[in-house]
Amino acid sequence: MPISSAYHHDRCALHLDGPLTIYEARQSKQRLLDELNLARELDIDLAGVSEFDTAGMQILLLLKREAGRLDKPLRFLGHSKAVLAVLDLYNLAGVFGDPVVLASGDEA
Amino acid sequence: MNLEAAKQVFYEESEELLAAMEAALLAVETSSGTQRAEHLNAMFRAAHTIKGSAGLFDLGEMVAFTHRCESLLDRLRENELALTADLIELLFACRDHMSAMLAAVHDKRAMPYSAALEAQLDAYLNQPADSSALPPARRPEAQVERQGSGEHGVASDYWHISLRFGPDVLRNGMDPISFVRYLGSLGRIVYITTLYDALPEPDQMDAESCYLGLEIQFAAAAHVDKLAIENVFDFIRDDSNVRILPPHAHIADYVRLIKEMPEGASRLGEILVRGGALTPLELDEVLGIQREQAEAGEHRQLGELLVEERLAPPQAVEAALDKQREQVAHKTREHRAVRVDAARLDGLIDLVGELVIAGAASQLFAKQIGNATLLESLSSLSELVERIRDEALSLRMVPVGDIFSRFPRVVRDAARELGKDIQLELAGEDTELDKSMVDKLGDPLLHLVRNAIDHGIESSELRRQRGKADYGTVWLNAYHESGSVVIEVGDDGGGMQRERIRVRAIERGLLGADEVIGDQALLQMVFEPGFSTADNVTSLSGRGVGMDVVKRNIEAMKGNIEIESMPGEGTVVRLRMPLTLAIIDGFQVALGKSTFVIPLDMVLECLDLPADTVAANRHYLNLRGEVLPFLNLRQLFEVGGIAPQRQAVVVVQYGSHRAGLVVDRLEGELQAVIKPLGQLFRGVKGLAGSTILGSGAVALILDVPDLIQRAAIDEQRRLAVSSQQEAKRLSLREENTR
Amino acid sequence: MAVADSKKTILIVDDSASLRQVVHLALVEAGYAVIEAADGFEGLARLDGRRIHLIISDVNMPNMDGIAFVRAVKQLNDYRFVPIIMLTTEAQEDKKIEGQMAGAKAWVVKPFQPEQMLRAVSKLILP
Repeated sequence: MPISSAYHHDRCALHLDGPLTIYEARQSKQRLLDELNLARELDIDLAGVSEFDTAGMQILLLLKREAGRLDKPLRFLGHSKAVLAVLDLYNLAGVFGDPVVLASGDEA
Repeated sequence: MNLEAAKQVFYEESEELLAAMEAALLAVETSSGTQRAEHLNAMFRAAHTIKGSAGLFDLGEMVAFTHRCESLLDRLRENELALTADLIELLFACRDHMSAMLAAVHDKRAMPYSAALEAQLDAYLNQPADSSALPPARRPEAQVERQGSGEHGVASDYWHISLRFGPDVLRNGMDPISFVRYLGSLGRIVYITTLYDALPEPDQMDAESCYLGLEIQFAAAAHVDKLAIENVFDFIRDDSNVRILPPHAHIADYVRLIKEMPEGASRLGEILVRGGALTPLELDEVLGIQREQAEAGEHRQLGELLVEERLAPPQAVEAALDKQREQVAHKTREHRAVRVDAARLDGLIDLVGELVIAGAASQLFAKQIGNATLLESLSSLSELVERIRDEALSLRMVPVGDIFSRFPRVVRDAARELGKDIQLELAGEDTELDKSMVDKLGDPLLHLVRNAIDHGIESSELRRQRGKADYGTVWLNAYHESGSVVIEVGDDGGGMQRERIRVRAIERGLLGADEVIGDQALLQMVFEPGFSTADNVTSLSGRGVGMDVVKRNIEAMKGNIEIESMPGEGTVVRLRMPLTLAIIDGFQVALGKSTFVIPLDMVLECLDLPADTVAANRHYLNLRGEVLPFLNLRQLFEVGGIAPQRQAVVVVQYGSHRAGLVVDRLEGELQAVIKPLGQLFRGVKGLAGSTILGSGAVALILDVPDLIQRAAIDEQRRLAVSSQQEAKRLSLREENTR
Repeated sequence: MAVADSKKTILIVDDSASLRQVVHLALVEAGYAVIEAADGFEGLARLDGRRIHLIISDVNMPNMDGIAFVRAVKQLNDYRFVPIIMLTTEAQEDKKIEGQMAGAKAWVVKPFQPEQMLRAVSKLILP
């Protein structure tokens, strides 16, 4: 999946675009972990995630846990419908600790 | 598409499968080794597929019966039973029974039942196997646990479901999301806790593996029982850990649950309390018992016992698969078939017919306008139309093998019944003819084949006396010949007994006692109604239709039938059928102001009518030394006006006969869409149909076989007249000389 | 199963045209899009880049049987994680296990009613 990153000082804003599923899982995991390691602060915009499954969710869980371990602020923003549906089903919205908001047109 | 349409497909497909089963049955007797295994496999697959489809249509009896056949075939496949002649007979009977069941379904009649057949099947099915077969391994069931100490139940009114997914579930396409959703359709998910404690360090984590666990409190809908909940997880039960506790499960059940889950007692306990499965007090009790047992050394973690059983496919498999993939495109092109309703096909062909006419009209107008560019583009258009026409017509064509395929069984059964040794040879199965004809040719051919076996092939002793092979041969052959499809039914039997035909014909008043008749005409007598020369009527060919019905059926399809028979050597019955009935390539000719069309594939050549022929008022031509009778179409169709100075002759051929047709003008080739004759022309002989020309005018299509016959008869009559005159002259001369 | 908006596409591979038609009918009614193939070879040819969410495959088929087909699907990058339902019979426990080893973890036992197939499908994907 295309992941675009924009740096603002040490703060990195990532935009995920397209599916985040088992088919892309290995690549996406590596890319996101690399970004987390580079940045001091990380915002991940999920508004463009068109497909999302358990493999995708495990990656977000892994990132969240890693960010905690590295003590780096990580925020997930603009959860797309696909993402929200899975988080709801797994009752995990709370675990991410973010204000879960519906994807909207404006950038976070 | 609807269910009725699907049912129609089911009939057709089952017929095909039963035909395949029959072919395999016929072949399996004489086969061995891998070939035999393949035949058995084909039969098994036929029964298997029919059973599967019958189940879809809720045909319980058919499922039950085909299931037994399938089981029997499976035992044969596995070499648990020996394939004996009796078993083959039984399988034939089973095949026929399936066919009867199918017919019953089709006609909405009661399902046939054969106690004898079922008893025989059961006898084989209950027979112990030659080699010991292991009973199929049972899958471990998800357990609903209720045992151990802690006999009293918990307060929770909900089911508790604990899931620890196997690492490969995602790779197998079994995403827990879908199972949870499906569970939701059976009731209400009260609370769900997702455990990801097992998620490893980033570099250890395989993003395609699953590390999750779920603890679910579930309120089942009224009709949902333990089995229904278990079934939700059918597909992942093998490699995942699934625990289902009913409402008010015993404390002891939770003790076991906590013991077997990898998260540890306190962590899982906390989750159970938060989800509402246990009250804090109940948890204390659970933990108490758990601690006691752990101290007693029973502690073990089921998670550790999870087995990873899958292996990566070896490299050799990869290479083999690559090769297979290469073949994919090729193979599919060969085997892909689409079923289309025959009526839709006819509709398409009708439209193509209209297209041909419209195309011709456009070309005519373009010619009138004289626009060269337009003409050019129209000519490439008409080329395409022509190709579409050919393609569309070929859609209607099916190989004659479709009819031939039923005959091995027919011959086998008939030979058995009559105690004759007969082999069947098939040739030209790929020859194609119109689908509508295929359907109608079955019965006539069946009759001819039965006739050949019954009356044609002699008894073994007689054959030996005549110095022939003990076994008789019956053959079916098909080929294309000048715009027709020829189908032959032949045998190497005794040939037709002309004396007997003669006697019978005289008996029936078809022939005068002293009348001299040509050989072919004599043989044709067998097509007269009620004509039978058989000494005794056998159950085989003595029943049903006679040869007269065969002939009528063939002629109704615009075909004809001829017999060739050599005494002591055998008989060939030859059916000559038109290729198709829809569109033909035609040759356009004119008589006065009228236009006629001759089917192009019957046209041999065209020539000018020699002036001396006209002057001499002869009715035959000398065509390179050959006598060619001709018909003056002007006279035949009573065309008004005066014939032009120079007329033309079109030489036509049908079968082995030729004739010349005298016309005013030759106008070239065209595509003719055959339409039925209008009321006005229905009684006129020599016409096969009508067509519409590009100009919108109607042209009549000539019935060449009929015209050739006419020419021949005319010629004979004239010869007869002239020989009579000759005879008269001779006798006069004799008188004079006296 | 990923969560997405568009209609889910199911590939059904079986040599019985009538079985395909009935299953096709039931699935379309339930809101799925359906593609058919008559054997393993044709099934593979259908995997031509389009998105497939579920495969239903018979075991016994001419040309390329269900097991070989499943093994082949598992080698295709874009389709290796597609859930596969095997159509088996109760007499074919060994085939079912072979299919599972190859990667087809779901199954429906023939003969079945359309509702049974729908149930199995909805355990794996939603329309």
